Amino acid sequence: MNNVCEEQVFSSIFKANSKTVFNYIYYKFGNEEKAHDAVQEAFVKLWENCAKVLPEKAKSYLYTVASNTYLNVIKAEKVRLKYAKPSLEISNESPEFLLVEKEYQQKLDNALNNLPENQRTTFLLNRIDGKKYAEIAEMEGVSVKAIEKRMHLALKALREQIDGI
Amino acid sequence: MQENYLAKWLSGELSEKELAEFKKSAEYASYQKLKEVSSTLKAPEFDVDQALTQLKEERIGNAPKVIALNPFKKFLRVAAAIAVLIAGSYFYISTLDESVTTQFAERSEVILPDNSEIILNAGSRVSFSEKNWDEKRNVTLKGEAFFKVAKGKKFTVSTTHGTVAVLGTQFNVENREGFFEVTCFEGLVSVAYNNIETKLPAGSSFMVINGKIVDTTAPNTSQPTWVNNESSFERIPLGYVFAELERQFNIEVNSQNVDRNLLFTGTFSNTDLNMALKSISTPSRINFKLEGDNVLFYAKKTP
Repeated sequence: MNNVCEEQVFSSIFKANSKTVFNYIYYKFGNEEKAHDAVQEAFVKLWENCAKVLPEKAKSYLYTVASNTYLNVIKAEKVRLKYAKPSLEISNESPEFLLVEKEYQQKLDNALNNLPENQRTTFLLNRIDGKKYAEIAEMEGVSVKAIEKRMHLALKALREQIDGI
Repeated sequence: MQENYLAKWLSGELSEKELAEFKKSAEYASYQKLKEVSSTLKAPEFDVDQALTQLKEERIGNAPKVIALNPFKKFLRVAAAIAVLIAGSYFYISTLDESVTTQFAERSEVILPDNSEIILNAGSRVSFSEKNWDEKRNVTLKGEAFFKVAKGKKFTVSTTHGTVAVLGTQFNVENREGFFEVTCFEGLVSVAYNNIETKLPAGSSFMVINGKIVDTTAPNTSQPTWVNNESSFERIPLGYVFAELERQFNIEVNSQNVDRNLLFTGTFSNTDLNMALKSISTPSRINFKLEGDNVLFYAKKTP
């Protein structure tokens, strides 16, 4: 029987989910240190309750615990996300192009920081982690339709900000 | 355009017609640019293996201790539940009344907490509260018993017919179906019957048959005769005599053409059944037939 209390099962759950839990909290609150702590917190809770949590429920359990951990703590903090810049290895681009690109990324970062937390989380989980809407819906505990709505609004708001509308 | 079409476009769920329409719109280029750039975004570095090692070393290292405590906790819970049950049932049982019951053809002697004595005749039951005895000397009686009460506080005998109260004396109480008799052998007994109180001095009796108070002659013995293995009757209807016979010998008594209201005066032995049957049948001029545990009394007229 697969049991979360078995170290092997637990380790494999950790390897499969810890990165996404980390990102999820980071997108939500924009704080790397807190995201690390949230991962630790969520998995310790999972280990302590390993007898009660079924392996197939472990995933949503982790997201719930992780987001609850900082629910009240970070709400007030101003989100300052910094995304690792894509390496611009293409060297044959003109300096003007590179400057424009850099400028665009700056605008995008600012626009992302100004998004409501749930729209930003949904957008980045999809764009960076490649999560399908259904998966995000499961993590957030809402319907797929609600995630589509958030995505739609996020795209709209981002474009408006970047284009200066 | 359908609802949330931007989300549908991003996940490639737009129909060809919708996609073509969207591509014609002015803002399409902006969205396309957003789509491209956002796909190159990266989250901060996260070292899964390092995080797992850290988790195991710093946090989960303590966890097994917690788990090991669980069975002990369960044991404690069970132990506590059992302790509560035992304590509860002890207190419950200790408040229950003590009781002594005699079957047919059986007699028993009961010593009460204050050394008062009860001799219980066949087919009878007394109960009393041992715990509250010091506060209240009260016994409940069904059937017949002889009491030798030690001097002290008021001693009461509760029966379905009435209550007998004494201070310190020897007396007999018989409380049977339709029959209630109290005989005082020493001291003074007070009998409350239908809210009427009757004082019985030594050597007198109080008898009720079928709800009627009946005069009786005083006993000339110092103890009821049944204590000495004899049952005595003074003008008692035959029906009650038969009932007493049933109790003393654990037999079944039937009668045929016999007037059960005929008054009987006499004594029968509680040890010898044949003698007892003769003692009843001869003065009443009836016959008897004994078959195993069944006795049939019948009038002489019938063959």
